[in-house]
Amino acid sequence: MLDFPKMLHALYFFEEAGASYAADLEKARVVELSAAMADILKVAETQTHTEIVRILRASYAEEAILEAFERLAELEKEGLLFNRGENLQWSFETESKWRKLLVVLPNFSVDSFFDIETLSAGTNMALSYMIRHLTKYADLHFTGSQNRKITDGVYEVDINIEDLVRLRSQIGETYYGILTLHQEQERWLLPLYRYPEFPPILVQCHAPRGHGGQAMNSLLRHYAAMRECDGFTAPSDYVREFYADYVWDPSFFNTLPNGVDAELFKPMDKAAAKREIAKTAGDDRIESASTVGYLSRVQSEKGASVYLKLAKLNPHLLFLIAGPSLGRYASRKLPDNLVYVGFHPREKLPLIYNAFDVYCFPSMSGEETFGLTVLEAMACGVPPVVPNFDGVPSVVGDTGLVADADNFDQDIATLVSYPCPIDFSDKINRLLNNAELWQTLSKKARERAVLFTWDKTADRIVKLFEALHRKKKLINRNRLLNVFVPPHPLEEGQHEPTHKSFVLSMNEHYERCFIRDAMYPLRVEDGLVLSILKDHTPREAEAILAEWVPDKTEARAILKRVLGLVNGTT
Amino acid sequence: MVSHTRYRLKRHHKFEQDDRKYVADIETGDIVQINDVEWQILSRYASQTLHQMIEALKKTYKLTTIFDGIERLEHLGREGTLLHPVVEAVEPTVAHWQQRDQKPKVLVPFHFTVEKSSLDYITNLNRYQFLTHLAAFAELETLSFPEEKKTAVQDLDAVEVRNIDVAAGNALMPPWYAMDGYNGILLLSQFLTDDLLYYRIPDVPIVHCIEGSQRLQHVLLKVLLMLRAFQSPKDTLVVKASWMKEWITELGVLADNVRVIPDGIDVVAPIGDKALAKQHTAALFENPMFAKQPVVGLISGFEPRRGAAWISEFARANPHLAIFVYDTLLEQQYRYPPENVVIFSADDEETLSVLPIFFQALDLVCFPAMPGTPLSIVLEAMAYGAPCVAMTKYGMPAEVSGAGVVVKSDWDHASNFRISISELSNTINQWLKPSHTRTECENVAKGLAQKFTWEKVAQKIVQCFEEGHQQSVNAFRRERNVSPPVFCRRYDPGSGTTESSVYRAGSNRYDCLKTALAEILVEQHTPAEIEAVFKHFQGKASLP
Repeated sequence: MLDFPKMLHALYFFEEAGASYAADLEKARVVELSAAMADILKVAETQTHTEIVRILRASYAEEAILEAFERLAELEKEGLLFNRGENLQWSFETESKWRKLLVVLPNFSVDSFFDIETLSAGTNMALSYMIRHLTKYADLHFTGSQNRKITDGVYEVDINIEDLVRLRSQIGETYYGILTLHQEQERWLLPLYRYPEFPPILVQCHAPRGHGGQAMNSLLRHYAAMRECDGFTAPSDYVREFYADYVWDPSFFNTLPNGVDAELFKPMDKAAAKREIAKTAGDDRIESASTVGYLSRVQSEKGASVYLKLAKLNPHLLFLIAGPSLGRYASRKLPDNLVYVGFHPREKLPLIYNAFDVYCFPSMSGEETFGLTVLEAMACGVPPVVPNFDGVPSVVGDTGLVADADNFDQDIATLVSYPCPIDFSDKINRLLNNAELWQTLSKKARERAVLFTWDKTADRIVKLFEALHRKKKLINRNRLLNVFVPPHPLEEGQHEPTHKSFVLSMNEHYERCFIRDAMYPLRVEDGLVLSILKDHTPREAEAILAEWVPDKTEARAILKRVLGLVNGTT
Repeated sequence: MVSHTRYRLKRHHKFEQDDRKYVADIETGDIVQINDVEWQILSRYASQTLHQMIEALKKTYKLTTIFDGIERLEHLGREGTLLHPVVEAVEPTVAHWQQRDQKPKVLVPFHFTVEKSSLDYITNLNRYQFLTHLAAFAELETLSFPEEKKTAVQDLDAVEVRNIDVAAGNALMPPWYAMDGYNGILLLSQFLTDDLLYYRIPDVPIVHCIEGSQRLQHVLLKVLLMLRAFQSPKDTLVVKASWMKEWITELGVLADNVRVIPDGIDVVAPIGDKALAKQHTAALFENPMFAKQPVVGLISGFEPRRGAAWISEFARANPHLAIFVYDTLLEQQYRYPPENVVIFSADDEETLSVLPIFFQALDLVCFPAMPGTPLSIVLEAMAYGAPCVAMTKYGMPAEVSGAGVVVKSDWDHASNFRISISELSNTINQWLKPSHTRTECENVAKGLAQKFTWEKVAQKIVQCFEEGHQQSVNAFRRERNVSPPVFCRRYDPGSGTTESSVYRAGSNRYDCLKTALAEILVEQHTPAEIEAVFKHFQGKASLP
């Protein structure tokens, strides 16, 4: 049963052909109303249920009143007519003058981003930090199933992903941009790219490889379908450049490095840190031994097996593991110098990092495009040893050592590389056996890490949206008309006919777009691109040209030429 | 391209709230926020044509804004909101003409000043006859723009001239004005001119008549190829002789919508019997052979040099025949024909007036069934009772079926005409003799005048427009894909390589690139164009 008084959506009541309707402007839906339903809605915001029933009894039979309440309850369940949650209108209008971004993350609970202990994966963690810092530059509205304020400038709004297309004008008017995470979201995100009404869409992209090629393929689909004013973010230059090998226009990929909370993650008294961790782990050796650290899920793709090999190769060192559990390795006989120090809340992680003399990051996963833990270790002044693969070396720079890795040409499940344990071992020992080198790298690691701030990341997002808005202003629809002419049957086989396609001097709005002749010859390839650009993106034309024009330089020149033709004649 | 004749407005309600405009689709329950121009368009959509809407709104809004508004509303229609695709709207149009005895309104864009000099006298005359008779079945109108030179339509009373008052700064091209309520467009241009742009108008059927005239042979094939590319199923290409259709079929450029509609013929009352006609002919040519010898009429459209050589050979092989050649180019260029040959063509009113006398004098009509030969002259020549010998590579032309015999011949695009002179001579000499078969053929030939009237031509043309409207309806039944495929690269983790593919969001699977490409091309291009595209790429790439 509905609990009255109850706040209504912005409604417009009208009658048409003798029937009453309510137009729910917030949900862009029309609802047909019985007379009793209409009367209930008139007083819904001010009267209690009992009072409403009393008022209605004067005009309606008991059954009609009951039926009206039941129908309204059904509509409320569908999210129609009644405000679900708080009334945010006032907050939106008065609390902040920031630009509003719509954050669409269908598989995430909004609250988890503000309760960091509930997050495990580095990607989610990074997203959480980024979102929290973004509130300094924009109001964030998360799509959800009710209206509520989460914290200053952060709201959950009653917009389901199913609502997006229907509400496109409203969303276009209200929001400066849409921020989402690339997660093979073909079902709802691909259709969105087709609507010019939507503001720029920025898709955070973390993993170019892995998942047996699924991640890459999904990304290539999004790249093809995107509007000119949409884009991806990639966590490192490496990732951005990686994509450049697969696409013709890498400008859709923007580097958006993660940040680190340099106030939380900072160098501490190493001996004290080791002492405390030794106490927690119940292993005194930690206090006195040289320690190598690993902070991650203990899984193959994170390089757990390599880490075990490193322990075996270096019995004189202590290899610490901090993670949720030992996973499948728990049931194995592990080397004596491998110590599981447990899973710790985020606030305690600086202590863990500080207990490491070297941070070891042997990940083999195609999802490892940045290495947030490496940056955190660096912020704590712990020099890292990382494999020469993916985006991690670009984060480390010259503040750690980079070990050899065999990078796979092909994805196998999520594995795309195998770090060399021998070289890893050599690098670890080199670092631990050279105090001067260690000191230098420790200092440089901290200095470099503090350059990666979440504030910069958030600021960059807003700037990216600004750039996308500029691109949006320049989007032109292809209105040119073109025709293909069958080859001359008597010339077939004699020589290569030069022109079999024409662009007309009249566009689809009946305007003259070229002077003089009625039509101008084009190459068939150019004509084909013109036709594709009617309802498809230049990246889709790229896919077709890549397949059908053997000379790639020529294929790119065709696309460039036709885009120039379209842009120059609008 | 927008054309709201394809959509019906659903039950809806427009309203304003907080300075925003909305429209509610009562049938689907959707609410759409609209802008000013879309509001205006919706107010007019049910009662005005696209042309009327734009003409009315362009004073207030920019053209692009109006077209964008219409486009957005029709896009919503394709998604099932606000507008509903209709198929029945056009069908009543045809019924409307027939039931109410009303004429379809047909636009005839003219470029006669340019073309008149390129065509022979008879072809120009036939056009006049055609339009005059068509005016009995259709309201004919042409457009006149103040900035253009006056077209030579003043002498064509059948066609009303609509002066388009073009305001300064008007950016719309002439085809736009063809959207103003015309039921069809009749194109008579033999050249590739601005007329081709009319083909981009949606829904209005186009009937394009191609002459196959001797003087246009060099451009004919290119014109046909171009037209084939532009034509959609609603459009009809009209050729004037069955061998034209056979020829373009042979070349593989035939579209389904090619109709053979021979010109009407004008047959005057005979001046008397054949003997009298022969005497007159002999007198007019000052050549007694026409009174004494069997007279064979050769109606042709040969390339002059090759035609002259062939005719000379034939004439010398048959010195007992008086040969009357009707050929507009040979008449000018064939200076020294054999003695038993006269060459004639009607170039003005005076020469035209004597032509029936010569035709009446003919004992047999001989013609090559190939582009350039004017069928209407052949039919007129036969209509006084002369059987024919058709020199053809396709069999007896349907137009003269039962009125003669065939002699196998061959020709190519370079006007190389090949025939056995002895076989032709034997056949002609055989057919000059009286026989029962010949008498039957004479009777069929005499009936040609009733079979090929200008009235029938006009009726068939109107029928083409009717069928074109029906095709428009059928074409629209093929709805556009609201969720189009996404063309993209596809990474193969097995090989580490990428290839192009197409992704179907609806079914979450990859599909055949070629099929999807054909799907999107079919929305914009004719089947002939699509075939041209795929042919071009075949062999160039790994096209399946």
